[in-house]
Amino acid sequence: MNIAGIGVVFNRGRGVQSLEKALEEGWVPPEDSTYSVPADTLKDKSVLKEMRRADDFSKMACLAAYDAFADSGLGDGVKSSLGIILASAFGPHVTTFRFLDEILDYGDANVSPTIFSHSVHNAAASYIALALGARGPTLTVTQFAYSFHQALIIAQAWLRERRCEYILVGSTDQCGTVMEYICRQKLRLAEDGKIKPFLFSQTPYAVPGEGSAFFLVTEGKTEKRYCSVLAQTVGTPDMYLLDSDGMAGDEKCYLKIAKGGIPVASYTPIFGSMLTVSSFSCAAAALMLKKQRHYASPVQDNPFGANICRLTEEKETESVACVRHNCGIERSQITLKR
Amino acid sequence: MVISGMGVISACGKNISETLNTFASGRRNGSKVTLLETKLKYPVFEVKGLSGSDGEAMRTLELAFAAVKQALEDSGLEDKLNDFRIGVCLGTTVASQLNDTDFYREYKNTGSAPLHSVERYLKGNLAEAVSGKIGASGLSCTVVNACSSGTDAIGVGLSWLRADLCDIVICGGADELNRVPLAGFGSLGVVSDSLCKPFDKERSGLNLGEGAGVIVIEKEEICRKRGKKAQIFLRGYGLAADAYHLTAPRPDGSGLEAALARAMDEAGIKPSQVVFVNAHGTATPDNDLVEGKVLSRVFGMGLKFLSTKGYTGHTLGAAGGIEAVFTAIGLREGWVPQSVGFEKADDVIGISPVTQKTVISGQYAISTSLAFGGNNSAIVIAKG
Amino acid sequence: MEANKEQGLAEIRKKLKELLVINLNLEDIKPEEIKDDEILFGEGLGLDSLDAVEIVVLLQRNFNLDVKNMTEGKKIFYSVDTLARYILENSKK
Repeated sequence: MNIAGIGVVFNRGRGVQSLEKALEEGWVPPEDSTYSVPADTLKDKSVLKEMRRADDFSKMACLAAYDAFADSGLGDGVKSSLGIILASAFGPHVTTFRFLDEILDYGDANVSPTIFSHSVHNAAASYIALALGARGPTLTVTQFAYSFHQALIIAQAWLRERRCEYILVGSTDQCGTVMEYICRQKLRLAEDGKIKPFLFSQTPYAVPGEGSAFFLVTEGKTEKRYCSVLAQTVGTPDMYLLDSDGMAGDEKCYLKIAKGGIPVASYTPIFGSMLTVSSFSCAAAALMLKKQRHYASPVQDNPFGANICRLTEEKETESVACVRHNCGIERSQITLKR
Repeated sequence: MVISGMGVISACGKNISETLNTFASGRRNGSKVTLLETKLKYPVFEVKGLSGSDGEAMRTLELAFAAVKQALEDSGLEDKLNDFRIGVCLGTTVASQLNDTDFYREYKNTGSAPLHSVERYLKGNLAEAVSGKIGASGLSCTVVNACSSGTDAIGVGLSWLRADLCDIVICGGADELNRVPLAGFGSLGVVSDSLCKPFDKERSGLNLGEGAGVIVIEKEEICRKRGKKAQIFLRGYGLAADAYHLTAPRPDGSGLEAALARAMDEAGIKPSQVVFVNAHGTATPDNDLVEGKVLSRVFGMGLKFLSTKGYTGHTLGAAGGIEAVFTAIGLREGWVPQSVGFEKADDVIGISPVTQKTVISGQYAISTSLAFGGNNSAIVIAKG
Repeated sequence: MEANKEQGLAEIRKKLKELLVINLNLEDIKPEEIKDDEILFGEGLGLDSLDAVEIVVLLQRNFNLDVKNMTEGKKIFYSVDTLARYILENSKK
């Protein structure tokens, strides 16, 4: 299937231009201890006009999906055959905790229905459908580190069975104060704010992040196409993007790829640690393929001497594979081809 | 695809046999809440005496394990899982949420809290946990589409098989009774103070329930190779969005109509071939009005349909899985129970469910699910 | 007495407007810009069914009033004024 449009909302802003600018600029330290999405990024009276009650989770998802659709250049005519698949590792947990606040402060019989309505995982996808007038199939899935991968697989299957002709597929994850607390207890947070993807450590550094990345995918080729996403991976890519972000446990398993000689890069230090960071790596890969450009890895600490991408430069590239390991046991790969 | 095995657990019974007895008797096992301390007095449909629970896994997982075990036994697959690429796709709402009240209360009061409930949550992704427990090595995915999760998980399983990503898929849904939806749906004013009355003129809202319903689906050639006789089939699936409102269904029902059309198109059937519909039928004023009107518009006034939520309550993410099993056994046994809770026809809806045990003869049946947020799903199940 | 009642009503209307703006996340409108006879649903403020149940909670928490069912609620929630009168009348009991 082909990626015809991309939309992102993350710490460094909104839209493909923000993504490109961040990749060119490289690493910047987080303003506080996390790569959170600034409040101003979520202000858009036009796109979010029916969303006065929506929480930040829904707003992030909606803006990223809306932008992916706009980026594709496709018109309103496709919306009756436009599906939506949203992947999330933890869902709108910030709102879930707000609802628990309601229960604890006011009791079971006196809680806010608005907060409850937004604490369900599929509220964001509903808002996307509303904002775009999309009447096709709409699905929300959760599979921790492989949420986005599962969503891509389903997207491919839906397109092949002609369940719809176009799909907005993407991920959204948040980092609120409770999640930050949990990360502090369970992960090794980087004091200097730097994820170091090439340390390949058993206890890697993490800096929690949040954001949403969406792709407009379709079987047909469109004018604004970025690249294709391969259902089956054959052969060797020109580059590997590693999703080593300190969030999914032991990262020694990435060493095998790193020592293989194929150039590797990792942009997780820009996005922050998220179980669904794979979608952002995909966005970076798609941009590389469209622009035929490599971007320097933002953090280049490299004790194992891996062949890491050190420079930002024009470079002919046919395919990029994004790899995510989970707890050193499982591996998933998304291959994108020019 | 063949439905080669089924498993179900709900307030109706801990397996298909107990469920059929409950259906035959018309008994309703609603009660006040006993699983948690609450001031809320709504009747609910709890699973009593859930055995095999060691308290380590979330209750939703225990319910799912019970249904999966039955389904695997029914399909003859218990000791053959290594021979096939087995996918697991299950729907839920509660199990996907990090919503442990004790953990959050302590964190809120003191700034810190022990993480064992978080650890349990991290090990508790429904499909992943089931896949790990049974030793399946194929795809696993948890669907969180609110009240249509179970049906949509079955739809995903169907897509996987068509794409040849798996040989066999275990799919359906599970959900436990939990404070968050109990308080939440109550605050929306959609929960009834008495036992629910789906499609009734005086219906006043839903009752919450819990349970799990799972089916095993596989390609006919795999089933044949295994030497398992194919009797019941999954023939079609449709899913469409309302794009209307976060909590209310689209009044014209066009989303549900589109989902039904797609499901029947995939099955290659016309509405006249559908012998009964297991409706979503939550007993809320809005759902039953919209759904009832769509059913009469699509299938005609003579349609035999029922809501089984009078027996199970609304089991949220489990509903689609449980009702898929109920639809399949209705076709297999040749009868459906009365749509319990219904007494008085609503002229505004214009169509009424079956009021007594009803003999069914024919090949095709449909189960519908309408979700919070405007998802509409339908599956077509066939006999022979 | 009438003057007192009017004053009480005015205070309730003022408080209601503030609560509506905050609790329903009404954007681009300040409490003082809401008319006393502003219709809440459909025209006017354009509230919907989710707002209606949120107002039920708002009444419970801020005025200790329960709305028994939404049929009753439809009349009470017609406008800022009808809502304020309901609060005033039921607070006396």
